Amino acid sequence: MNAQFTKATLQATGLTCAMCSNAINKALQARPFIQSVKADIKNSSFSIVFKENADVDIDEIRKAVEDAGFAIGSLKLTGSFNEIKIGNDSHVQIGDRHFHFLNASNWVLNGEQTITIVDKDYLTAKQFKKISESSKTKCLVSGKSASCCPGVAAGTRVYHVTI
Amino acid sequence: MKLRTLTVILLVAFTVTANAQLPNITDSRVQINLPNVKGDSVSLLSLKGKVVILDFWASWCGPCVYANRDLVKLYKEYKSKGLEIYSVSIDENKKAWQKAVTRQRLTWIQVNDPGGWDAQTGARWNVQALPTTYLINKNGDVVGVDMEGKELEQNVKKLLEE
Repeated sequence: MNAQFTKATLQATGLTCAMCSNAINKALQARPFIQSVKADIKNSSFSIVFKENADVDIDEIRKAVEDAGFAIGSLKLTGSFNEIKIGNDSHVQIGDRHFHFLNASNWVLNGEQTITIVDKDYLTAKQFKKISESSKTKCLVSGKSASCCPGVAAGTRVYHVTI
Repeated sequence: MKLRTLTVILLVAFTVTANAQLPNITDSRVQINLPNVKGDSVSLLSLKGKVVILDFWASWCGPCVYANRDLVKLYKEYKSKGLEIYSVSIDENKKAWQKAVTRQRLTWIQVNDPGGWDAQTGARWNVQALPTTYLINKNGDVVGVDMEGKELEQNVKKLLEE
């Protein structure tokens, strides 16, 4: 595997205090690829640890937060990377999943790195608007492969990330 | 190991649930005996005979600050008439809890179960969000959950007259 996600930092938003509810904890802990969830009070975020070598389903994290009645304000994934070449608008396959790097300079990722998901519903609406206006790629709005994604079958889920 | 498993099963089975009959504080399964700010243990059971508000909160819980402001007023008004409040903080950081108690001028019984969302006391009382409050009558029966504002005051008044 060219990369394996090991942990994540999640901020949740909603009409009520996300940290004051046990619902997000419970919903995340019910996902099979999640080892543990801890509330980081100081940073108003949740620290998630994934099971070793687990298939981390990013959209499932979003669904868990939404099932609990909240939305994602920010999701940062940390993993171990091995010789992954990135550049602006480069597409990278990690395991079975496709990633599109936005605003990235030419670089080879090695060792522990953290990426931020910038797809719709992974940021506040305001932040997403700002990012979607700055990128001309069609796939950013839909989160699915489009003409801007060479070699990725049309309609495939593509996660948009920054580093 | 078997005993531990059995204990866990029993705890889960007897956990307070929204649909189940509300407990009485003499029930061993829902008893609380935790250290206060000075480190002395105070039990919920020791308050039997008074009208009690059992309150779960944490220093980092924004809505709890507002709820505490209401409790401060309520306590001032009804303490001398027999109301007691027993606040359980699930703060993992003891200092943050003590600081919040001082800053928010919370003069009633303050105890700490430092387990965060894994706190045993919160789990036994089925606390799923903060703040959560239970209203308890002089007989030790839980008679109300998450009452606030005027509804809470009217019920406190009624229970004090019983």
